[in-house]
Amino acid sequence: MNSTSLLNLYLIFVKIGAILLGGGYVILPLITNEFATKRSLIKKEEIVDYFALAQSLPGIIAANISMFIGYKLRGKRGALLAMLGVITVPFFCIVALASLLSILTENQYVQSVFWGVGIAVIALILLTMRELWQNTKKDLSFYIVFFLALASLVIFEFSPIKTILIFTLFGIILNKVVKQKEAE
Amino acid sequence: MIYFKLAFEFLKIGLFSFGGGYATIPFLYHISQQYSWYSLDELTKMTAVASITPGPVGINVATYAGFKTAGILGSLVATLSEILPSFILVLIVAKLLKKFSNNFYVEAVLSTLKPIGCALLASVAVGLIRVELNNIKSIILLLVLLLLSWKSKKDPIFYIVFAGVVGALISFLHY
Repeated sequence: MNSTSLLNLYLIFVKIGAILLGGGYVILPLITNEFATKRSLIKKEEIVDYFALAQSLPGIIAANISMFIGYKLRGKRGALLAMLGVITVPFFCIVALASLLSILTENQYVQSVFWGVGIAVIALILLTMRELWQNTKKDLSFYIVFFLALASLVIFEFSPIKTILIFTLFGIILNKVVKQKEAE
Repeated sequence: MIYFKLAFEFLKIGLFSFGGGYATIPFLYHISQQYSWYSLDELTKMTAVASITPGPVGINVATYAGFKTAGILGSLVATLSEILPSFILVLIVAKLLKKFSNNFYVEAVLSTLKPIGCALLASVAVGLIRVELNNIKSIILLLVLLLLSWKSKKDPIFYIVFAGVVGALISFLHY
């Protein structure tokens, strides 16, 4: 296995950030290509393991996997530079577009495009939910937590954080009870 | 100070959102209701732009929301605050990889966060549907998009571009 300099690590992630389009899953082939296929710095299987781990942590999956790879190759500084690398190009793109877009959206034509896009966003949220739903083992406690949390959000208008804190605690207790029942 | 508020809100998002970029939308939705940093309509636009520009969607939308709220410095604060919690967690987890996976509490928390994540996404979908699905045109478009996703999984950009083109065509036929 070779090693890589911090600068090089940063630049590889700048490139990945620049060509990454879409959600977190798109980054996996890009990282595999740069770090396993082209440079053989990390084994493919190891990248897949890190990816699974990146998904199970909170936050943005693409940033998480980048930081894991950076950490694996160059420790804490590697993690920091990988993270900064992957957001460099996107950051400037958004800042440039954000100032431009407020002028553009006055246009009726553009507004109609954004009507369609708004509907697509709803579809994407539903699809994200479906994916999370399908990738989870659904036992009784899953359904209980899901429906109670949904009710508190929609009917009682709890904030996301309040919902998460209350139901995580609830979930831990529920898991404990289930475990004790199984042990008996 | 707007920057502290912004940092606090995005630290929370970074710490509590699960399931990738679109899973941050419920939090941004809540922010749009709580503060007047951006409107719901703007949030939809930001999400769309974040999806079709390079980079992770969740980061892009944070950058954008930060910009809307407090300019370039705002976008820097929002972006970095959103990543900071997972940065620290990655460092801890990478170190304690083996201990981490078999701990009862860690497993219980992680398995509980999934149904909560589903509920968060569902609640935002309900909120957006209430606001946006007020005409037959929108309902049909949503059904078409969901139908398209049924057969095969497509990249998020596909839905954004498809729906954007439909919007353009409709306005073209209209005016």
